[in-house]
Amino acid sequence: MPIYRFIFFSAKHRFAHASNLLPRFGSSKRIQSCGYTKSAKNNYYKKPTGHPVVNVETQASRSSGAYFIPPILLGFGGLLAFLHYNDERRAVKIGKDSYTGSDTAVAPIIGGPFTLVNSENQIVNEQDFLGNWVLLYFGYTSSPDIGPDQVRIMAKVIDTLEAKKNLKVLPVFVTIDPQRDTPAQLRAYLKEFDPRIVGLGGPVSAVRQMAQEYRVYFKKVEEEGDDYLVESSHSMYLIDPKMKVVRCFGVEYNAEQLSKEILKELKKHQVNA
Amino acid sequence: MSLEAYASAKRDEIHTDVLLQARQACYKARDAFYSCLEKHSDKKPTEIGSVGLLYPTECKPSREDYVQNCRVSWVKHFDRQYCKTKRTQRLLDDKETRRGV
Repeated sequence: MPIYRFIFFSAKHRFAHASNLLPRFGSSKRIQSCGYTKSAKNNYYKKPTGHPVVNVETQASRSSGAYFIPPILLGFGGLLAFLHYNDERRAVKIGKDSYTGSDTAVAPIIGGPFTLVNSENQIVNEQDFLGNWVLLYFGYTSSPDIGPDQVRIMAKVIDTLEAKKNLKVLPVFVTIDPQRDTPAQLRAYLKEFDPRIVGLGGPVSAVRQMAQEYRVYFKKVEEEGDDYLVESSHSMYLIDPKMKVVRCFGVEYNAEQLSKEILKELKKHQVNA
Repeated sequence: MSLEAYASAKRDEIHTDVLLQARQACYKARDAFYSCLEKHSDKKPTEIGSVGLLYPTECKPSREDYVQNCRVSWVKHFDRQYCKTKRTQRLLDDKETRRGV
């Protein structure tokens, strides 16, 4: 009987202690929880539970990452080395020649055979111009302002080169308006500028083929029946005696600049040939 | 049409309105018209030319002269060019009056 009492008493005492303690812990816990939840809720909740898991994870990744990192690094290094080697192989070294032997023409290869009708109604093809330097202009007689200006510049250049440097360059005017520019029309038009200018025309298909070879853009605009303008690039081509296009000049060149540039090209060609 | 047929066909008509004389007459008439426009630039343009070019009635006679001396496509070409230069000039001049815009 006294044993039961002792046990009971001790239990009660313990419980009393516990009950005494409990409220205190509970209150402190409550206070604690209030403070923590307000500021760092996640941390407070995660920390006690996450730590062991995180630790395990880092340990796990470290051990498996250690296996992956060297191969990845090696692979990356290999890729870099391959790219570097490829760059070296593809680059044209400074000082070495380019792939093509002759580099008189820095432009793309344009030009080609053509067969047209000149202002005397004779059939002309590119063979007839071999052996001459040719200054070629694609224009049309009904041009309001640019056409006449360019033809005038061409005539002046030919004159300058022949008078001062005694260099013969053959001026050729190819019409991109063959339907209206008949041989007679060309003759009358070009006569007013310079009798040496050769006028070439022909059927539309022949002109179109030549324009395609020389990469000349031309298009009818403002069409009102028979009255239209032809939009084009208005550029002049300098062709060497082997019928190869050496240079292309746009409208920005005036007569002096053009003659100077042509002189330069002629001199360069004489040095090479 | 083959090349030979083209060469042998009789094509003798010449468009004289693009030869030197005609060109010079056209340029002269054009310049006269545009100078008239400049002179009367303060007047209100009431007449309409081609491609949206407006001009005052004072310039009507020079306009007619211009249109007569030049081809229609040339008139349109020059008018368009004139409008373009006018517009760029206006944009360039306007810079002083509209700072910071």
